Amino acid sequence: MGQLWIGLRRNRKAFIGLAIVLLILLVALAAPLLTEYNPAARTGRPHQPPSAEHILGTTRLGQDVWARLIYGAQTSLAVGFAAGLLITVVGTTLGIVAGYRGGKTDEVISFFTNMVLVVPNLPLLLVIASFVGQAGPMVIALILGLTSWAWGARVTRAETLSVKQRDFVKAAEMMGEPQWRIMAFEILPNVFSIVGINFIGSVIFAVITEATLEFLGLGDPNVISWGTMLYNAQKASALSVGAWWDILAPCLALALLGIGLSLLNFAVDEIANPRLRTGGRLARWTSLVKSGEGRL
Amino acid sequence: MPFLLRRILFYLAAFVAAATINFFLPRLMPGDPVALMFSSAASELPPESLEALKLTFGFVDGPLWKQYLTYLSSIFTGDLGVSVKYFPLPVTDLLGRALLWTVGLVGTATLVSFVLGSFLGMVAAWRRGSRLDVVLSVSAIFATSIPAVVTSLVALFVFGFTLGWFPTGYAHDPALDPSFSLAFFASVAHHAILPLITLCFVLTGGFTVTMRNNMINLLGQDYVVMARAKGLSDRRVMVWYAARNALLPTVSSLAIALGTVLGGSLVTEVVFNYPGLGNTLYQAILARDYPVIQGQLLVMTAAMLVSNFIVDVSYVLLDPRLKGSG
Repeated sequence: MGQLWIGLRRNRKAFIGLAIVLLILLVALAAPLLTEYNPAARTGRPHQPPSAEHILGTTRLGQDVWARLIYGAQTSLAVGFAAGLLITVVGTTLGIVAGYRGGKTDEVISFFTNMVLVVPNLPLLLVIASFVGQAGPMVIALILGLTSWAWGARVTRAETLSVKQRDFVKAAEMMGEPQWRIMAFEILPNVFSIVGINFIGSVIFAVITEATLEFLGLGDPNVISWGTMLYNAQKASALSVGAWWDILAPCLALALLGIGLSLLNFAVDEIANPRLRTGGRLARWTSLVKSGEGRL
Repeated sequence: MPFLLRRILFYLAAFVAAATINFFLPRLMPGDPVALMFSSAASELPPESLEALKLTFGFVDGPLWKQYLTYLSSIFTGDLGVSVKYFPLPVTDLLGRALLWTVGLVGTATLVSFVLGSFLGMVAAWRRGSRLDVVLSVSAIFATSIPAVVTSLVALFVFGFTLGWFPTGYAHDPALDPSFSLAFFASVAHHAILPLITLCFVLTGGFTVTMRNNMINLLGQDYVVMARAKGLSDRRVMVWYAARNALLPTVSSLAIALGTVLGGSLVTEVVFNYPGLGNTLYQAILARDYPVIQGQLLVMTAAMLVSNFIVDVSYVLLDPRLKGSG
């Protein structure tokens, strides 16, 4: 961990990525200090362009766009990190157990993992979300967590297979350490870089997918988040009436967060695998992101 | 068991799993599933059509396992039920109409991105560590981490509304009837450009990164060193020795990408109001047209499985070692 920290400080990509993510986090947390407006209340006339009074203009309903943007950041970040954590925990656990135990356990888990991988993720999410009805942010996080762990499980399993051949694992087995202990204290710390990349990649995926589901009208329209901002702006035909601020504000915020997180992911990959330098394991994660992206 | 037979059984199992999710989801929801599923439609539909709808979802009398079997058999005979919104239009007809547009749009976008992405990846790997490489790989990662919603909306705003270079919706000029005329094809092409560019922006990055990493791993191989030692030109080594082999794994990701074509482009189609499968799914969600939504999941799953299977077959053809292994 200490090494990771030193690496992060030396790496320019990591620094910029971390700065972007922290800035967004800080703005989200300090939202009440940064605006006097209630994000849900009508505070001006509809579709006012940016001005000193409303720095990012107003929505069709006369709500302040800047206020909605910074309060919405709370939701997008919360869903992103909650779902990312869930995806990582499920994927890592299944991957390590399958890789370490092998045999029948591995067969069952791998079969299940591969099955989840070939069922297209987004249509599945849409079907589930449409049955749940207007899903709140945390319900979306839960659905994402339960359907998107398969990539993480597969990659972690592959890594576990190589780690378990090492001497220190053999030594721990000889000493009669219980299996759960070997998995938690011998294997896990040694696949930590994969777990880190998994986590950040999953956060990116979750942020993008939450926004997409809400944009498509599957979220709760009363929640304030970047996805519902897009949904409401699109519903109010913001682009065709020329109210670009209504739709570009959440767009830029999403792009910025995506770039910040991917810079961070890029950097963690470089620090964890210095030989690879801008490549390697991250490639597998772009396919995870793509499953929520290109396939939409 | 032979490799391919095992894969076929696996894909069959995966398909049944998707169908099973479809079957149990409405039953797992709180409240009366039938009421939930048809509540929006109930007021508009005549009672006999409601009965027909229930039948297609296996909501027949009898124990659960019997309902399940009824449902499965109807799916395997290609019966996806009827649309609630456009009753009594069968779901298969509705999807068939949209299929052509999606295959045309996303198929083209995938192929263009594949060629462009592989080329960029090849160049980046060849000059790894250079400024060009850094620019290419960083922008590839950026492009994959910006949501498709954002790319589509920004493209629509800049090129559709502000500059007015391209139409802002639909697949062709609504004044023209579909026909084999030059004017119609020109209109289709003009309408397709903006969604096409957007999709390529989203897809190219992934291919670039894959190709670059495959290629870097290969550049250290003996036969590449040998080719250079022989004094072959740089371009010849790059294209015929390294890139040709690096392309193999990328071809498999191309096949999988083509399989996701059907699910593909959902957001792009919605933003550009393109009449493909994605937009059909979106409209079905808005109307809570469950038969169409569930039919889409099955069609997309089937497409995914078929293209995965094609990858398996090509692996067997390209890598003879797989044939014997159990």
